[in-house]
Formats: sequence, structure tokens, C-alpha cells
Amino acid sequence: MSFELQEKSLRELCESLLRDGVAEIVVGFGESAFASGIAVPITVKKPEDAAKLSWNSRCVPSLARYIAGRKGVAALVAKPCDARAVASLIAERQLDRDNIYIIGMECAGMTDADGSALAACAECSSRRAPVFDSEITGAPEAFDAPDERSAGENSADRFRGEMDKCILCFSCRQACYGCYCETCFMDRGAPNWQPSEPDIGAKMIYHLGRAMHLAGRCVECGACENVCASGVNIRYLIKSVTDFIECEYGFHAGMDTKTLPALQTYSASDGEPGFWGKNNE
Amino acid sequence: MNAWTPVIVAFLCNWCSYAGADLAGTGRQQYPPNIRIIRVPCSGRVNPMFIIKALVDGADGVMVSGCHPGDCHYLAGNLYARRRFAVLKKLLVTAGVEPDRVHFTWVSASEGTRFAEVVRGVTEAVTALGPNKMTGGGAGEL
Repeated sequence: MSFELQEKSLRELCESLLRDGVAEIVVGFGESAFASGIAVPITVKKPEDAAKLSWNSRCVPSLARYIAGRKGVAALVAKPCDARAVASLIAERQLDRDNIYIIGMECAGMTDADGSALAACAECSSRRAPVFDSEITGAPEAFDAPDERSAGENSADRFRGEMDKCILCFSCRQACYGCYCETCFMDRGAPNWQPSEPDIGAKMIYHLGRAMHLAGRCVECGACENVCASGVNIRYLIKSVTDFIECEYGFHAGMDTKTLPALQTYSASDGEPGFWGKNNE
Repeated sequence: MNAWTPVIVAFLCNWCSYAGADLAGTGRQQYPPNIRIIRVPCSGRVNPMFIIKALVDGADGVMVSGCHPGDCHYLAGNLYARRRFAVLKKLLVTAGVEPDRVHFTWVSASEGTRFAEVVRGVTEAVTALGPNKMTGGGAGEL
């Protein structure tokens, strides 16, 4: 039960996929030519190059971003969160199920440079992909995570604190599988949501707007948090909405390739929490 | 110096709530003058960004009203809106906006009295909270 065994099976599988023409390209993780200790997304087209693929505890990037808009069958080395992202993209008709071959990797969670579990991975309970074409099991035990939950802070201060850190670089948007709009609402001239000054109001508009766009679509991969240069934790905000939607509408994004996201549909019997005259919370 | 009173942005759907507000007017119902009405085709037209933008730009409260579920002119606009508003309110509360700043309700074209009642209630609730301090500054003149 180790990464090495999984990696070996992964390379063998990808080699045969490419040799037999099941997939034209494999999108997976490989060694970086520039930095050591972190896996970067790579593409493999020739069967003999399958040995370049790697699988270890530093396969952090979310790969679902790399397959949109491709022609031909792509195989994707998918952590459970990547597989959920792909399933969600298929449900939203951004991907064709026939054009994607999902290699579901059993996942122990990924770690940061010092070997402790990433925050999103520490909270994640899914080890196996809900949707896959082949599965490679045998992941090791989950990693320990440092417990650094801030308690006692009120919600307005916490949100303001996170917003103060943000530098509006939009990395979180670029890393997110769900942010595939051709023109983001923050880049649009009309209607122009972005205030003329990049002040705290602009940051609030960006993060609240993005949280609304991702409401019920977030697969909790933590990519937004992992790429952030200034350590903004925006995941907590989106997670509160994800949990609310799961509890209120019973919808969990990316668990299958058919169900539409909760906010793209409705039911006549939906509740009205927080509405006028209802419980105000 | 004048006492502070809140500025409340109200999005009313064209077919029910706006007509309800009209009826409140023709029926000489009294309600506080703090709301600024914006007429929209349907409560389903209310982009959550409208509400976020209003709050960030300093509105002290936001109110959205549409047709009762089942009575939508476009059949299901308010049903989509209902989910969206419930989720938006959860998001805003998590981000530290007081629950009483944002109100969603249904007012039909015949409910002039109810419209006045809701506006009185909303104004009272927002007044009790004081000015919107979301971005640090107070409310601007709208």
C-alpha cells in the first residue's frame, strides 16, 4: 500500500491506454524541470513516455482545468476531487463523457512541503472517485494535519481579515475547475461590477460573487487556497454554502454525471430559510 | 442635525410586488419612505450581484419581493429565485452581514396592506441595526 505501487500501476495503465489508442493523451502529474519537491501537470502522448508520470503526496494541482475544450479522448489522472470536478463539468455539459477517460486514483490526501496534510485534504473524507473508468487503489493512510482552527472570531471580522489579505490577483479563479466563463464578471465592462478602485469593496464583490457562482458546484478540492500567494482562506466561505445546499437540497456536486447543480433547478416544495416571517438565520 | 435613517434598496417584480406597492399607494397606506424601489421583470431577474453590490456600495438594507410561489408570471422565475436567495442569505451571514439587513418576501398585486406592513417591518429591523459598516464606511447618499 504505497504511492510507489500506485505509480507503477498508473504508468502501466497509461502506457497501454496510449498504445491501444484508447486515449490520445494522458493528463497527469510529473516532475518539474525547474522546482523539486512538487508535481506539476504534464501531458503524455507517446506510450514510451508513460514513465514520466508520477504519483506522490505532492500531486497538488487540480487537473480538471486542463482538459476542457479538447478534441479527442483524454485520459485524466484523477484524485477524487478531480473526478468530481470532471463529473460536474459533464453534468454542466462542458465536457463530453465519451471524450474523457477517468483514471480514479485512491487518494490519501496531498501534503504541503513539510509533509503535513493540506487544509482541504485534511477535511476531505472521500478517498475514492465517485466516477471513473479505471481505478488504481492502494493509497497509504491519510496524513496528519496541523490543527489551526481559529475560534471565537466573529464572522464579519473573519471575512474582513481574509479580504484584507487578498491582492485581487485572481489566481483562485484561474485554478478553480468551476470558473470556466469565457469572460469573468470581474473582467466585464458592462455591467461593470468592479469598483474603479481595487479596495476592500472590490475584493468583497469578487469573493462573494465567485462564492455565489460556485454555490453548490464546489468540489472542495482546495485549489483556490493552495494557489493563493497571500494565504487567503476563501474555502470556508464557499464551504458554508456547500454544506447549506447539501443540507437544504440534498445536493452534493460531482457525485454523478447527470444531476444538475442545485441552483440550476428548483422544487415546488423548497423551504424558505431566512425569508421574511421565517426563522431568521 | 438630522437623525440617521436607513437607505433600503427594494427590488420588486413587475407583476406582483410592484403592483402591490402601487396598490398600497392608491389605498393611502402609510409606510416609511426609506425604500428605493427598483422594478425588475421578475424576482428571478435579481442577480445575486445586485444585492452584493448594493450592500458593498453602502445600502443599509436590501429587500426583494416577488410573486408568491406558484403565481409567477414566468411560471418558475420565483422558484429559481427562492433557492438563490436562501443560499445568498446563508453566504452573506457567513461573511458577517447581519441577517436582518437582507429580506426576501412575496407580495401579490392585491396585497397593498401587506406591502406596507412588510416595508414597515423591514425599515424597523434595518434601523435597529444602524448604518451598514460592511466596507468600513457608512451609507452614502443614494
